[in-house]
Amino acid sequence: MQANKDSDGGWRTFVWNSEKKEFLGRTGSSWLKIFLFYVIFYGCLAGIFIGTIQALLLTLSNYKPTYQDRVAPPGLSHTPRSEKSEIAFSLSDASSYKKYTDAMTKFLKKYDDDKQTDQMKFEDCGGKCQLMPERFLKCRDTVSSTPWLIVKLNRIVNFSEGGRPPMNNSVEEFLLPKLKPNLIPIFCKNKREEDADKIGEIKFFGLGEGFPLQYYPYYGKLLHPQYLQPLVAIQFNNLTLNEELRIECKVFGENIGYSEKDRYQGRFDVKFNIAS
Amino acid sequence: MGYGRSDSYRVATTQDKDDRSPKKKKGAKDMDDLKKEVPITEHKMSIEEVCRKYQTDIVQGLTNAKAAEYLIRDGPNALTPPPTTPEWVKFCRQLFGGFSVLLWTGAILCFLAYAIQAATEDDPAGDNLYLGIVLTAVVVITGCFSYFQEAKSSKIMESFKNMVPQQALVIREGEKVQINAEEVVGGDLVEVKGGDRIPADIRVVSAHGCKVDNSSLTGESEPQSRSPDCTHDNPLETRNIAFFSTNCVEGTARGIVICTGDNTVMGRIATLTSGLETGKTPIAKEIEHFIHIITGVAVFLGLTFFILAIVLGYSWLEAVIFLIGIIVANVPEGLLATVTVCLTLTAKRMAKKNCLVKNLEAVETLGSTSTICSDKTGTLTQNRMTVAHMWFDNQIHEADTTEDQSGASFDKSSITWISLARVAALCNRAQFKAGQDQLPILKRDVAGDASESALLKCIELSCGSVRAMRDRNKKVAEIPFNSTNKYQLSVHETEDLNDNRYLLVMKGAPERVLECCSTILVQGKEQPLDEELKEAFQNAYMELGGLGERVLGFCHVLLPEDQYPKGFAFDTDDVNFQTKDLCFVGLMSMIDPPRAAVPDAVGKCRSAGIKVIMVTGDHPITAKAIAKGVGIISEGNETVEDIAARLNIPVSQVNPRDAKACVCHGTDLKDLSQDQMDDILRNHTEIVFARTSPQQKLIIVEGCQRLGAIVAVTGDGVNDSPALKKADIGVAMGISGSDVSKQAADMILLDDNFASIVTGVEEGRLIFDNLKKSIAYTLTSNIPEITPFLLFIIVNIPLPLGTITILCIDLGTDMVPAISLAYEAAESDIMKRQPRNPFRDKLVNERLISIAYGQIGMIQALGGFFAYFVILAENGFLPTTLVGIRLNWDDRSCNDLEDTYGQQWTYEQRKIVEFTCHTAFFVSIVVVQWADVIICKTRRNSVFQQGMRNKILIFGLFEETALAAFLSYCPGMDVALRMYPLKPSWWFCAFPYSFLIFVYDEVRKLLIRRNPGGWVERETYY
Repeated sequence: MQANKDSDGGWRTFVWNSEKKEFLGRTGSSWLKIFLFYVIFYGCLAGIFIGTIQALLLTLSNYKPTYQDRVAPPGLSHTPRSEKSEIAFSLSDASSYKKYTDAMTKFLKKYDDDKQTDQMKFEDCGGKCQLMPERFLKCRDTVSSTPWLIVKLNRIVNFSEGGRPPMNNSVEEFLLPKLKPNLIPIFCKNKREEDADKIGEIKFFGLGEGFPLQYYPYYGKLLHPQYLQPLVAIQFNNLTLNEELRIECKVFGENIGYSEKDRYQGRFDVKFNIAS
Repeated sequence: MGYGRSDSYRVATTQDKDDRSPKKKKGAKDMDDLKKEVPITEHKMSIEEVCRKYQTDIVQGLTNAKAAEYLIRDGPNALTPPPTTPEWVKFCRQLFGGFSVLLWTGAILCFLAYAIQAATEDDPAGDNLYLGIVLTAVVVITGCFSYFQEAKSSKIMESFKNMVPQQALVIREGEKVQINAEEVVGGDLVEVKGGDRIPADIRVVSAHGCKVDNSSLTGESEPQSRSPDCTHDNPLETRNIAFFSTNCVEGTARGIVICTGDNTVMGRIATLTSGLETGKTPIAKEIEHFIHIITGVAVFLGLTFFILAIVLGYSWLEAVIFLIGIIVANVPEGLLATVTVCLTLTAKRMAKKNCLVKNLEAVETLGSTSTICSDKTGTLTQNRMTVAHMWFDNQIHEADTTEDQSGASFDKSSITWISLARVAALCNRAQFKAGQDQLPILKRDVAGDASESALLKCIELSCGSVRAMRDRNKKVAEIPFNSTNKYQLSVHETEDLNDNRYLLVMKGAPERVLECCSTILVQGKEQPLDEELKEAFQNAYMELGGLGERVLGFCHVLLPEDQYPKGFAFDTDDVNFQTKDLCFVGLMSMIDPPRAAVPDAVGKCRSAGIKVIMVTGDHPITAKAIAKGVGIISEGNETVEDIAARLNIPVSQVNPRDAKACVCHGTDLKDLSQDQMDDILRNHTEIVFARTSPQQKLIIVEGCQRLGAIVAVTGDGVNDSPALKKADIGVAMGISGSDVSKQAADMILLDDNFASIVTGVEEGRLIFDNLKKSIAYTLTSNIPEITPFLLFIIVNIPLPLGTITILCIDLGTDMVPAISLAYEAAESDIMKRQPRNPFRDKLVNERLISIAYGQIGMIQALGGFFAYFVILAENGFLPTTLVGIRLNWDDRSCNDLEDTYGQQWTYEQRKIVEFTCHTAFFVSIVVVQWADVIICKTRRNSVFQQGMRNKILIFGLFEETALAAFLSYCPGMDVALRMYPLKPSWWFCAFPYSFLIFVYDEVRKLLIRRNPGGWVERETYY
């Protein structure tokens, strides 16, 4: 009972005890002291932390990350991105594919002609660089009838992406006609057997239906600030409408690896679901 | 007179019957009723009235029909067993009690968060679900563990139960029949003889040398004689009532059953005991307080970041998920298990030292105890009369009363002593039971009266076989002790075959024996008993009586041969021989001596700041003597009466404040108000309560508790059991204790050794300190576990530490080190300091939180973050890039996330780096926890003073490291727990922080030691 009484009146006196001039059980100077202590304490801690971070930064190279084992082999990414690896829209409804066209426009901005005027930075590219956006702009315009994907190999510092194109004997037969020196070939096909006759013709645009090796390696942001990686545009000319189709695209090269868990490493698959 | 009494009784019975109907509704009133004194009045009635009341006959007993009728009306003559809690209730109590509440709340919040996520998102993260499941599992497993732990103790308890059914000899329709004690009814005429257990409360109608052992009911060590006369108004003290479940030691008696079953005095005590509500254990209160603090911190943090999240533009639902996440993250998942294991370990350690703890939480209670109320008989004393002093040759000699005969002895060469020993041996009917020759004398069972056994053992010890002596001196005649003569006498042949004289020996109440004497034996020579010697006798008698001892006088005479030739027929009924002009030999006095270890234990309790109060049913003089003997009243301390006697002034003139000691009589206690009672308890340091009833013992315990003390009660008798139950911790005796007392107690001393209590106090205090350390250690890692989530929300960095890794710390690596702190040795002599103040010295206080959360935890968090930044930076994401990256980082469709160097990462690639960071953060916490466990070893001392002798702790250090390495490197962990192998250099990221923790805390403790009471101590000593 006594304890009850104490705790009833206790709350108010605990918050502000006018007798001892205590706020939450401490006097002003006591609060000040503990506050000062923590300010100094945390100040010191922050200093020590920043110190160790500085020490860390000293050990890092400006040009190349210490470890690259997690980022290589490179991923194969595409624009527009897929939500849960699905691209679905209705041909008759412009708003349903607007986000895809917007994404492509935005992505291709970097490749606009006016940004590529400085030839110095594209020594390997020749005149072909300018070709790309022009062609790709087309895909933006024709998206209503045929879906497009723009594909790129992820950048990795000092990594000569494909290394070498695959040897003739090491690839599947369908790839043989595409094999060229200095080109990492890309190829798409149906993921499921039963879709074989539903996906129709797939066209590849870009610098020779693949990623030319002369664009690699990438030397990092510091050395290569304006670097633009080569792209391949893929046009699906005759997808069967109103059906879910799974298509897998893959690049082939000696340095390229695939992983069970990472479905974007050296390949990707995407689900098309286009309504009429 | 008689009529009036019986009339008043009728009024009482009708009231009683009125009371009975609303019994169940008015539980509280009923309890108050039970706390009052026993309402028996039959002892004041005449036998005829009693017969009339029960419609029985003094010769024929009840008719069978009546007996059957009464049996149906009153029910069987057995105690209603205390309502046993069903097993599932016990189990649920383990499952939902105390700390578990916190974890259950956490689990429910987790499920709630998961439900919200599942309802709003298509692909909810399973973290909250898993966390909820793990929390539930932890609670259930720990609950099962402690349930089985306690079930084990209660099994030992059950083994104590006496299963043998009692028999009773009743007279019905004039015939003696042996029936089950349960079938005895009120009005039955029963016969008891030595060795029987009394089947019910009986009003004695005739008795022959009947003595009963009331020690379990009243605390009197000596057997009490029973006779048909009413000798006292108090039914507990009158001679004509024998009580249910006490033992008849010798003689026979016949009586009418007046109460059976729960209505007996014993039954009322048992009912009172089982009806008492016990409060929470101190440790339960501490854990509750701890939960309040933790909840406060959790809710405060949660709400702060909830508001922050709203301000930062998160949606309401997201903010709610964050809120729940933060609150749950504050729940120390492993602590419940840690605390349970720590308490179990201590309980086991105590069981090894013969302290059986029935309730796990009671382990700590003895440590907090500030007052011990100890029963005298059987707890402080051996409950065995022993010869303590002798007076012969005009001198008091001290006998050895220790249990192992290690004490000092006296001069045994005096001729007077030889005579005294002979008288004591011959005038003695007690004898050793057969077949105990190999046992030490003191351990042998004796048939006979307690004081005679004491004499027997004393003589056997000092003079050799009493049996042989008795064989040499054949008994010719004997007058047994009776209350009118107050002496016992026997005539023997002498040892000397040529001597045909008879030896008459007598023992009895000293003043009666002295009356029969005209001479006295001094230094082997008979001297006339002059006034001087009479005064010397008187002084010795007073002195020994003042020691609370029971004094017997001895005398003898060699009967002249001419008057009593060989073959003289001694007639003991019509005494035809000399009983005057005998030769006084000496006095022997007996006491139930204190156990050997008790004075030392009492002293240790004293120095540990624990007040030891004696509460006994025995007489004040005896109680005071024992209290002085064991140090409960320390040397030089006086009671009010002592001061009065010394100054030769009336007691009323003495200022009670002058007396530190106090002997309080039960009858005085009855009239005291609560304030007066508090006054006594507060103002006297050394208190003895004598002649207390079980109800008064209870009131005393309640009085102490009212003053804020944490009270331990030790006792063995039924009369102690209400107090045992009410006490914060009741300690019963395992060997001599009654079943009822063991049921009521929380702890049982298996070897009956009071000194074990000291062990209990020590262990209890140690575990309290060590639990503090354990909690400080466990709580510290909460900060490095919460901060990653907070920064994840606030500055949008990839999550540095995931739920699974948090669980790996709380339920994996932190466990063994936290438990190992329970093995930590005390920093200083914990038995030299005051008991903790339950209002001020909390298990977890704001200083502990300040240290654990505000200081050490923050350093730990930095260590973890440093490892996190190192890994990300070395993989290409510098800290500056990380801020604000979260949305893209966690976007599955973004497979070209750029790092600082311009590299592009797929979702899976960067997630592997993230999980590697989780692993590194986890390993870093292990590394900083190394330092933490070492600094948590001590609260004041330096580690260098304390040493690293705790082997379990060293094992814990290796174990947590090995476990961390296993979790990181074992193949398959990437799939199972999403933990990835670390590069060796990443293990060292947190080393500087670990070192910093160690240095910081050593400096802090140095400052505490250097400036006792200084700012550092006030703010950081937990």
